[in-house]
Amino acid sequence: MRRKWAGIGLSLAVAIGLAGCGGNDNNSGSSNSGATNGQSAENTTTPPAESNKPPVQLKYWTDDRHDQEYIKDMINKFNETNEDNIQVELTVMSENYTQSVDIAFSSKQAPDVLRLKSGNTAGFVKKGYLEPIDGFLTDDIKAEFGKLILDDVNRFDGKVYSLANTGNTLRLVYNKDIFAKAGIANPPASLQEMVDDAKKITEVGKADGIYGFALNFKSPKSAFDRSIREILSLSGYQGLGFDLKTGQFDFAPYSQVIEYFKTMYEDGSILPGAESLDIDPLRAQFAAGKIGMYLSFSTEPGVYQDQFPTDIDWAGALAPTLDGQIKGTSEIVSAGTWLGISAQSANKEAAWTFMKYMYGDEILKTYHEKGFGLAVVPSIVEQAGNPEINGMEGFLVGEHDSLWPVSPSVTPEGANYGDAFFKYMLAGGDLAAITQDLNARYNAALSQAVEKGEVAVTPNPAFDPANPQG
Amino acid sequence: MRLRWKRLGENTLFLSPSIVLTAALGVYPLIWMLRYMFYDYAGYGSPLFVGLDNFRRLLRDTLFWESVGNTFIYAGGKLLLTLPLSLLLAVLLNGKLRGGNLLRGIYFMPTIISTAVISVVFYTIFNSYNGMVNAALMKLHLVSQPIDWLGPKHAMLTVVLVAVWGAVGNYMLLFLAGLQSIPNDLYESAAIDGANAGRRFWNITLPMLAPVAQLVVMLAIIASLKGYESIMLITEGGPIGKTEVMYLYLYKLLFPVSTGSPVEQQLGYGSAVGFATAVIVGTITGLYFLLSRRMNKLD
Repeated sequence: MRRKWAGIGLSLAVAIGLAGCGGNDNNSGSSNSGATNGQSAENTTTPPAESNKPPVQLKYWTDDRHDQEYIKDMINKFNETNEDNIQVELTVMSENYTQSVDIAFSSKQAPDVLRLKSGNTAGFVKKGYLEPIDGFLTDDIKAEFGKLILDDVNRFDGKVYSLANTGNTLRLVYNKDIFAKAGIANPPASLQEMVDDAKKITEVGKADGIYGFALNFKSPKSAFDRSIREILSLSGYQGLGFDLKTGQFDFAPYSQVIEYFKTMYEDGSILPGAESLDIDPLRAQFAAGKIGMYLSFSTEPGVYQDQFPTDIDWAGALAPTLDGQIKGTSEIVSAGTWLGISAQSANKEAAWTFMKYMYGDEILKTYHEKGFGLAVVPSIVEQAGNPEINGMEGFLVGEHDSLWPVSPSVTPEGANYGDAFFKYMLAGGDLAAITQDLNARYNAALSQAVEKGEVAVTPNPAFDPANPQG
Repeated sequence: MRLRWKRLGENTLFLSPSIVLTAALGVYPLIWMLRYMFYDYAGYGSPLFVGLDNFRRLLRDTLFWESVGNTFIYAGGKLLLTLPLSLLLAVLLNGKLRGGNLLRGIYFMPTIISTAVISVVFYTIFNSYNGMVNAALMKLHLVSQPIDWLGPKHAMLTVVLVAVWGAVGNYMLLFLAGLQSIPNDLYESAAIDGANAGRRFWNITLPMLAPVAQLVVMLAIIASLKGYESIMLITEGGPIGKTEVMYLYLYKLLFPVSTGSPVEQQLGYGSAVGFATAVIVGTITGLYFLLSRRMNKLD
């Protein structure tokens, strides 16, 4: 009997332990929020003004985790010093941010201020979640941020919903030690060089488990959107398959890049198992010195400082181009939005007061200098020093970087371009037919979206990829 | 009369929580889905009535039909391995085995462990670049190159193995409950009559277990056809759709934000796919029930 209970007890203890490990990631958000709540509550005891009145309580939701300590400090400072008796409570979400926002809005429990990203802003505007901020914008603010108020980025139907803070550049991330070991002096400037370098590195390093190239192919679209997007924009083509001159999708340039990726796969130069690789396991392997190069965002230096500290000598360089010639500019992505105000907020004035505080020069400058993101606001770029993070120098905004007009986001029937091209990469097929099929399906979806009034397309025959904003 | 009213009131009171919950969490979503499968709806704005367009699209949606094919491979593989294995374990553990209770606990444990934990653990075991399986195989000189367990050739096998590992304990326990309800004197009489262990299993255990087995197999079929969680975490349906099962395909239509760049929700088409998947699972389960009717009748 005793043995029986011991067995049951042991099983339960291990099971509860393991089940506990699998707790919802949102717990981290709650705990952060909890901690901040505590601080907020503490701060509310001694508001600087109107201490008899209850403070205006604001909720700020974000899914950024990399900057949460800094943001928390800035919010605490705001809570302590603002003269309008406003208290802000920070909630840091981890996964499923968009779904959490959806639920909050449908249950009338929306936050007052939201973190907006290029991927979710258009959707939030369409769903009616956001309040236009035009009425709050002073001439000074317009002068500072005006050049970065862009249609379909932070301005929709003539109304502004957010302002820019930082953007991400995209670069080739390469291991200098491995390149040196393979006898390669410089990072590749053309795709053919990239293929050759990846092959050389694999030949030299394979015995030690070192391979020339990798991407997070578990999600092919995510992998290509952080690599081919940049290769194409620097080569003079829009990076998501859209032709800004004709206002139509044309995946022909995309298919040229895919041929090189396919060659690397066939050469065996890509890390085995990359088909199921997520970005963090990829980074872990790069930090362990097992990958020669990959392409990714300017968030990588922060990752290798905090998440996967590494001793390897690595750097970021401009992505290779189709033929080694730079005919376009490297697209700065995720720029144009940062904070926005909820249309459901009962305290929009207070929300703007907080938002204005967060967009203050000092906060934006420090945000850049701490390496949380690369400043794109010209006045901040002028006054901010370079971030002191190893590897960041290769990602800084330079002469070859610029913002591009937004390409329409459409959902075609069938496989997206990432899945379709990745299938070709692994299994082969008729590339011309695949490209034609993608063009047909994406343009059909575009026509439907235009018909429904969801997107507007204006062809620009004079579009110059070397000067995308005209 | 007053007593009848009082009873009716009591019954209603006791039933109301389950009625309210069933209506809110079962019936309402069902009606919602039945309505929206005739609409083009992305979760915002006015839904656009499109009649049978979503079903026409479903018929030409090769990705969906590939996912249905993958579901049959996945479910078939899982059932073929899980059911015999769980029955075997149940029979072994039903005997007087030393440490039987501890073993039952160990075998059942995967059922209550979070799928996320299971998936992460199996990813580290099977991944090609530093997985434990490849390391062991290479150390034993059984293979010279790492096997790409999560690549296009072997990914389905790997996710089936993970599913089997997670399910065996659960069905073992159900079989065990069935085995323990078989009267012991049947075995004793058969033993006196000279029946050996194999004959006793074939002529007593299997027939007596049939009603329970019918239910267990039905639950296993439904769970196998609907399973997608560990696949989503390990391969996300890839590579190149090789492990894309129909419920994962459906999930991605309704919650597309999990994969890379954002793609719009397709609630209308997703509802039509949801209806089709429910019809497929319902038909297979119904057919099974029809074909297995005899199992529920003890001769």
